[in-house]
Amino acid sequence: MGYKVNFAKVNEIFDALSKEYDIYAPKLFPNEGRYSETDIVRYDRVTKVEDIVFDKKSDYPAKEVLSPITETIFYFTEDEWRESKATSKKIMIFMRPCDVNAMEHQNKIYLQNGFEDFFYKRMYEKVKVVLMECKEGWDTCFCVSMNSNKTDNYSLAVRKEDNDLLVEVKDDAFKPYFEGVEANDFTPEFIEKNEVELEVPEIKNKTILNKLKQHPMWQEYNSRCISCGACTIACSTCTCFTTTDITYNENANVGERRRTSASCQVEGFSLMAGGHEFRTTTADRMRYKVLHKFHDYKVRFKDSHMCVGCGRCTSRCPEFISITATVKKMAKAIEEIENEVNANE
Amino acid sequence: MNQDINVKKLRTNCFRQSKVPGEFMLQLRVPGNLIDAKYLTVIQHIAQTWGNGTFHMGTRQTLNAPGIKYENIPAVNEYIESYIREVEVEQCDVDMEVNNAGYPTIGARNIMACIGNIHCIKANINTQKLARKIERLIFPSHYHIKVAVAGCPNDCTKANFNDFGIMGVNKIDYHPERCIGCGGCVKACEHHSTRVLSLNAQGKIDKDTCCCVGCGECVLVCPTSAWTRSQKQFYRVTLAGRTGKKDPRAGKLFLNWITEEPLLQMFANWQKFSAWVMDNKPEYIHGGHLIDRAGYHKFKEMILDGVELNPECLVADNIYWTESEQRSNMHLIPLTKHEPAGPQSK
Repeated sequence: MGYKVNFAKVNEIFDALSKEYDIYAPKLFPNEGRYSETDIVRYDRVTKVEDIVFDKKSDYPAKEVLSPITETIFYFTEDEWRESKATSKKIMIFMRPCDVNAMEHQNKIYLQNGFEDFFYKRMYEKVKVVLMECKEGWDTCFCVSMNSNKTDNYSLAVRKEDNDLLVEVKDDAFKPYFEGVEANDFTPEFIEKNEVELEVPEIKNKTILNKLKQHPMWQEYNSRCISCGACTIACSTCTCFTTTDITYNENANVGERRRTSASCQVEGFSLMAGGHEFRTTTADRMRYKVLHKFHDYKVRFKDSHMCVGCGRCTSRCPEFISITATVKKMAKAIEEIENEVNANE
Repeated sequence: MNQDINVKKLRTNCFRQSKVPGEFMLQLRVPGNLIDAKYLTVIQHIAQTWGNGTFHMGTRQTLNAPGIKYENIPAVNEYIESYIREVEVEQCDVDMEVNNAGYPTIGARNIMACIGNIHCIKANINTQKLARKIERLIFPSHYHIKVAVAGCPNDCTKANFNDFGIMGVNKIDYHPERCIGCGGCVKACEHHSTRVLSLNAQGKIDKDTCCCVGCGECVLVCPTSAWTRSQKQFYRVTLAGRTGKKDPRAGKLFLNWITEEPLLQMFANWQKFSAWVMDNKPEYIHGGHLIDRAGYHKFKEMILDGVELNPECLVADNIYWTESEQRSNMHLIPLTKHEPAGPQSK
């Protein structure tokens, strides 16, 4: 069932929804960009449709709603503890197809990877997706190449047309909100071709993988990448976090445990108790990330690569390291290795 | 060469005397150091038509044409009428009459600026916009003042060596909920700036707000936008820096965290202060020396008269000039030869 809803009416519906839902969407934060007098777009609670940014890709992904950068997970006093309270309301998130597909990858990590993450699960169970139609994309997008340009996993879908929203209501629970609104046969369209296309190379066996890890192509990143981690925070699919115990005073028996997003690109990420560190160079860390997104995850979960091609890592990189260019360099390296292996056989 | 030339009058007209008798160098003002590239053809035309065919980039960011013969100066002045109108009146909103007589004064020198945030990744402010607003407060005036605007405290403009050096700074907002404790800002601050950040036991950042210079290096390096520039724009002002034979010195911090409105109010007081120090008789001496004559406290009283400082603004209680030459008693004018300040009996 579809509708054409003017903004005034959308805001009435938002009001009605707000009794049950917190609505999250990409919002403009003026002058909060990396450089002076530049803006960022990131997810935040919205109360009116005018707050939602439709014409730009958000700098940060929708995952920030489901797994906030900093989250208190429990409070403790000596041997007693209790979990932090879940949000009381349900959550409605305006997401593009890349973010919806990313959420499905995150579900695998948090919910289907041998255990269920209690804190993620309780958030996820509250989420209703409002799909933001995305037909054009931006210059760093390559969702089509990663099969993440489409989704049917949504309750509502919207297209902004001037001062109206065209809405498809897929979840009948939302129909009452649209009573008396002009009908429309809108269903979302999806982008079919990005400016950038990427063919992710297949790493056929362990020999090639091991040779690839040693390949000189990664050395470039020792001088280019600054290990800031902006790519992983901007990534729609990264899930790594660390935990910190916050004790309120010198009495370490009273406090809270927080989890905070972590980045495999930041120095010290793989530092072990005792001092051993697996990946000591920037090149090592870059290689780890790229292989994780374009090899390891697929080996483990079979059906798809982890990367959804949202391109936010490329957009946010202060050193202009393009993920698609990197994967293309990797493809060339693999080809070299395969030729070398074949020649020696 | 046998011509009767008033070189001082020509200097006021922005033509500098050459060692070649009868030749002069024109200096075209470029307030804020940014103009439409179309004006390059203006200076090119002057250099090739009346000058010696060369072009000099002025050390105060003026467009200079050397080798202009005295007799051609009226033609040059007629030609630059439209440049002065477009750059000074239309671009900077300067209140002046423009005619075919060229620049009315060289007094307040060209306001220098770095490229600022229209280009630079480090800059905190639009340096040109500010320079143009100051231009209309200090020009045209015979009172000599040197002002420079830098986009950040890195001060590529060398604002520190001007009577008034203005640097764009920012009170940076911290959003702890977005901070992942990566320590990137701590390293950046230590490497590039004043080492005011540290990672605390809670995995978040502590800041020594007293020593923070507001440069924004933490914002640049932050992967999560946990550090963002505040919506309010601030400036730091260094005072009475100068180059020169006698006692070159870097400026001293005069105002910190001042906002634009009081900053402009302060500049509006400059001519009044200069007039008082020199008893209404402009001399060829620049602002820093006037501050020396009046003394910092008299200067402060007059320059901040009626200025409504924003609550964050800090004003230096005292400024001590500690030139090494003074300590070693070299190059100094004896006290008996110091010029007095204020109204003089006839």
